[in-house]
Amino acid sequence: MHPILSSRGRLLAYLLLWVTFGGLLAGIIAVTNEASLQWGELFVMPLAVLMGLQCLPCWYLVRGMTPGEVPAWRMVGTWFGTSFVLLSLWLGAASLWLRVLKSFDLAPIVDPGTLMPLLVFAGFVGVVIAILGLYSEAAGERSREAERRALELRAFAREAEMGFLRRQLDPHFLFNSLNSVAALIGSDATAARRMCLLMADFFRKSLKFSAQQTIALADELTLVETFLAIEEVRFGDRLRRSLEVSEEAMGMQVPALLLQPLVENAVHHGIAHLIDGGEIKVSAKIRGNLLDIIVENSCDADRPASRSTGVGLANVRGRVESMYGTRARMDVENEPERFRVLLALPASSKEAPRARPDR
Amino acid sequence: MRVLIVDDEALARAYLVEQLASAEDVEIAGQAANGFDAVKMAEELPCDLMLLDVQMPKLSGFEVMELLGARAPAVIFVTAHDEFAVQAFQIHAVDYLLKPVEPARLQQALQRARERLRDPTPDRAAWSAQLALAARPPGQWLERVVIREGTRVHVLSTQAVDFIEAQDDYLVIAAGEKRYRKQQTLAQLETQLDPSRFVRIHRSFVLNVERMARIEPYAKDSWQVFLSNGSHLPMSRSGYQRLRAVLD
Repeated sequence: MHPILSSRGRLLAYLLLWVTFGGLLAGIIAVTNEASLQWGELFVMPLAVLMGLQCLPCWYLVRGMTPGEVPAWRMVGTWFGTSFVLLSLWLGAASLWLRVLKSFDLAPIVDPGTLMPLLVFAGFVGVVIAILGLYSEAAGERSREAERRALELRAFAREAEMGFLRRQLDPHFLFNSLNSVAALIGSDATAARRMCLLMADFFRKSLKFSAQQTIALADELTLVETFLAIEEVRFGDRLRRSLEVSEEAMGMQVPALLLQPLVENAVHHGIAHLIDGGEIKVSAKIRGNLLDIIVENSCDADRPASRSTGVGLANVRGRVESMYGTRARMDVENEPERFRVLLALPASSKEAPRARPDR
Repeated sequence: MRVLIVDDEALARAYLVEQLASAEDVEIAGQAANGFDAVKMAEELPCDLMLLDVQMPKLSGFEVMELLGARAPAVIFVTAHDEFAVQAFQIHAVDYLLKPVEPARLQQALQRARERLRDPTPDRAAWSAQLALAARPPGQWLERVVIREGTRVHVLSTQAVDFIEAQDDYLVIAAGEKRYRKQQTLAQLETQLDPSRFVRIHRSFVLNVERMARIEPYAKDSWQVFLSNGSHLPMSRSGYQRLRAVLD
């Protein structure tokens, strides 16, 4: 959206600035050309407004050429060319306007030798000021956008944390696991002890990671593995899992607790509905400057359309979008016997700041 | 008392077996790991009581009960979910146990089962009608229909159903080329189906509106509905009004 054209008030304020500019220029012309101030204003005001209107489309160039993102030579070249075109058009209009005024006998004898260089200089200053002004507006817009995104990100982080708290109290995961422990105590005390330790490990890791914005993929995967190890006790050989992650990918940072809900979905909406069980496969590798992560699971071909998976997926998508914007993507492939979530995140091993710097 | 244990988790079954060992009059009739086996075993084995999980692959515990109908033994539900309790008691479950199962609570449930077996539910026919109604989660429309064909069990997604026709005392459910017979009344099944998708277009027909291709007048106050596969069904005046109400 154009910052000036977006409302009538803004356009008016903008043109008022140019009228001020015109007033100054009129004064200078009156002094240097022995013409009256009234004539100066009559001559300059329309030209000042014209300059203002001419500079409006520059906004789109400003938006497209953020300093630091575009090579300096290209910026200098583009702006040099643009100013040249704008200035030529404007000077052309100025001389035309002067001729019109003369034909109505409204022009005093002015010396083109002093008027023209003055107009060239004033026009140049006007164009430069306009471009700088638009650049500062663009910078303001970017910082507002960044602020909005940061707020959104914090909201999602909070929500993920709440989601975890809910999951921590999720009667189904917790009670089913405890039921397994109760069963194992009678038959295999060692396995029962191992299950208790796994559960403690899972809750401790989840709590720790939920306070962080991003964690290493390797850390996220230990959490996922612990979760699957617990579910494996319940489902026995119905749950088969495989992990294919390249060494390089392991060190990359991912949003904390991003994969965990995907794997949980895979168990509860995939494996749990299969009589003979199925496989959950997590794979990750680096592709160019992207980290590709795939979570896939087998599922029942005639499962009813599920509503609750949608919520979990939307949450993951929301976090990915607010964190990376258009630099990441997430695709869901829902085949009859296979469900797949594909994530492509910017590959980075740099740790993001903590989610809640204010607490 | 012969008990059939139904749960898709081996450990959960083992736990119940272990806990039942202390009750002297209890004999384990069998163990089933899924709903299909449960239906088969409940009919083939002599058994008095079923300990039944709710959430299992393919067939839920309630669907198992629906398929067994009046032949179902007394049932105690055993589940980690507490939200099905009302449904469970609607079909006269003896008890409803939450996982992890407390041993004392299980013994109490067994005691209730013994009392029930001495004085079984008198009106079994009325009870089996309740069974069908309870086979869906509360507040949701039916997403699949379970059908028995001799010893086989079909689980049919309601999305696959084209139309349902009432015959004498059973229903014919049409899905593509297939026709399934189900022992139920049309009025009863109709109340379980999503009314925005399934419309009673005639005394004997319920139509999946997504399959409808066009409507043609047939006689005064009657129409024919053509399905996308070319076949057609009769539609009455009141059926026409109901269909319009859904489509508008």
